[in-house]
Amino acid sequence: MPLWEKRRSALVLAGLMAFHVLLISIQVPRGAEKSLFARAVFFLYSPVQRVASATVRGIGSLWNGYFALRGVRRENQKLKRENFFLSQDIRFLEDRLENTKSEAELRASLAEFEGSLVAARVIGVDSANPHQAIVIDKGSIDGVGKNMAVCDRTGALVGRTIAPVGLKTAMIQLVTDKDSSVSVKSVVAGLTGSMTGRSTEVCDLRYILASAEGGTEGEELKTTGFDRIYPPGIRVGVIQSVDKDESSPIFKRILVKPLFRFDTLDVVAVLTKGPGGGL
Amino acid sequence: MRETIAKDGLRAFMGTVAAVAVYSVAGASAPALLVVFNAFSVVVLYFSIRRGEVFGALLGTMCGLAQDAFSLGVFGVAGITKTLLGFWTGYVSRRIDIAPFTRNALFMLVMSVLEMILWVLITALVRLKSVNVEGGLLFLQPVVTAVLGSSLFVLERRIKARRSRGA
Repeated sequence: MPLWEKRRSALVLAGLMAFHVLLISIQVPRGAEKSLFARAVFFLYSPVQRVASATVRGIGSLWNGYFALRGVRRENQKLKRENFFLSQDIRFLEDRLENTKSEAELRASLAEFEGSLVAARVIGVDSANPHQAIVIDKGSIDGVGKNMAVCDRTGALVGRTIAPVGLKTAMIQLVTDKDSSVSVKSVVAGLTGSMTGRSTEVCDLRYILASAEGGTEGEELKTTGFDRIYPPGIRVGVIQSVDKDESSPIFKRILVKPLFRFDTLDVVAVLTKGPGGGL
Repeated sequence: MRETIAKDGLRAFMGTVAAVAVYSVAGASAPALLVVFNAFSVVVLYFSIRRGEVFGALLGTMCGLAQDAFSLGVFGVAGITKTLLGFWTGYVSRRIDIAPFTRNALFMLVMSVLEMILWVLITALVRLKSVNVEGGLLFLQPVVTAVLGSSLFVLERRIKARRSRGA
């Protein structure tokens, strides 16, 4: 009997283990950038995810949408869609009004966002930790690219698009992911720092000097635009607690509660013309 | 021989598609469910017991890589843990009797716990960061996996019994 037949199981396992170790080894020094192989696997299975998620939605809305309230449901969906875009417009309008002095400047900055919103449905969440990433049903065909800001129904920042971006699917890195970092400023005290995720429900506001004044619980944080990914003025979160940082005494230890609500995250808006778009 | 490998590969791919579908349905219904329910582990355990260690390792690789593709973690960590899960589940299940429900559930629980320990260790080693245990909810994952996996065998047995009665 040849060696292959005798030791078939052990050889298969050894081969697969060697493949995995090699796969992990080549990624570790490179950081978070996805390899071609990782993208291929994502593209291979993402249609299955789209179909499964659409089936769940279809079954869920079968009664409401067909048997009982067919006409009302259609009208409601239309109104919801309009409301979604209007809410986004109002948010940007409010943010621009705060930062803009003249009417001409206001018109110019509003024109930046005209037709730049793509509404997308969330079809999946990170398989290892839901606070890291989500998958949406819009991709490069719809004008979605890498490094575009993503907001929820209320205009609060959710995260940004990252590779891989498929034809009809894209992955969003949430602001709560531990590798995420957003440049933010508090609206009252004007504290400027970096909001980084922890892969939990809360985030850290880093690099705020212990000697800095202000920064109270409940104070809202908005994006500054310094990171050249997120447009300035988008609401991100509120300060949850302010303490002394025992490990690094020169900085404060500030916890931030993101404004987007994970449990109601069904539809999001992708800002295709933001500073990060097209990078 | 070649035909068997090709058939096994195709079956493993179909098993992975089933796992992705179940994972997507769970995610679409309630995202928080994914903390306590790992569809990929259930599929790997079920088919490894049914078809042995080689198929288990192959399916483990495919399911693990699919799980990694839908995550921001290092690509291959779930792949390596699920490969080992599939192989050892298939290998051990051929040498002990796990037909009764309780024994079957206990066996799956042990294998799921071992998989989780391995996943936590490799993640900590590769990313140099501890894993978020979601307030302890993550530790329920092996229990849910074991109960669901064993229930699949019970369901299969009942369907077979009903069919044989019908025939």
